Amino acid sequence: MMSIDRRILGFGVFLVSVCLVVTLALSSCTVKLVSGYDETTDRAVTDLQRKTEAHLVTLESVEGLPECTYENHKQFYDEAKVDINVITVRAAAIPKNDITTQESQLLASQLDNLEKLHKIACLSKDQITLVRTHFNTSFTAILKLELAKRRGE
Amino acid sequence: MSLDAVKLGKDILAALNGSLTEKWPDVKDYGEAEAKKLAQTLVMIATLKATGKINKEQAELHLEMQKNATRMVLMTIEGLGVLSAEAAINSALSAVKDNVNTEIGFTLL
Repeated sequence: MMSIDRRILGFGVFLVSVCLVVTLALSSCTVKLVSGYDETTDRAVTDLQRKTEAHLVTLESVEGLPECTYENHKQFYDEAKVDINVITVRAAAIPKNDITTQESQLLASQLDNLEKLHKIACLSKDQITLVRTHFNTSFTAILKLELAKRRGE
Repeated sequence: MSLDAVKLGKDILAALNGSLTEKWPDVKDYGEAEAKKLAQTLVMIATLKATGKINKEQAELHLEMQKNATRMVLMTIEGLGVLSAEAAINSALSAVKDNVNTEIGFTLL
């Protein structure tokens, strides 16, 4: 008898909650499941993409030369780390922006891996081609979602 | 006053379908294009390793970058899906609002 009462009470609470949610949703007119478009994020990611591509183009031009070593290009990695950290912190500060935040963290991981590769040895043109594809895919993913947040603006 | 629940239900469904199917072609094309690219890079990593142009450590790093890129594509597809669902919900809410307010004769919603 007690368990049936509890079930009825539980169902009643559930029903009231659903009604409340629907009423609130209807009264607030629109539902927002993902954050809005952020122009700063868009620009920062695009700038970093440009810097990364410039770095890869430079590496291609110095393939096989003494200037190809990691030490000659450390500045790019240091600056890129700062840039991606700025992007990630901003993304995390925006409510309902979890996916973009996680993608920024993955982008940071991409940069770390590129740095590790470069520390091992100068990158060949084949490797640079691979890396370029990895980064193009990564940047496109972030930007595609960010632009989609415009919602017909 | 007579709110037709069947008609209302059909209006909501039409709004939902419209919103979801409108965005799906873009998501599908994006997913297919990226899947193709990722497959090509996977083959390239394997080839470079097999031909000795990269060592085990380098291959593992490239593979890790490949996995990260794949994750990001999937996350973006997920995000686009959530945005589609959001648009569908808001379309349905809008459909309900107009019909209800018209039938009732004043702005309830």
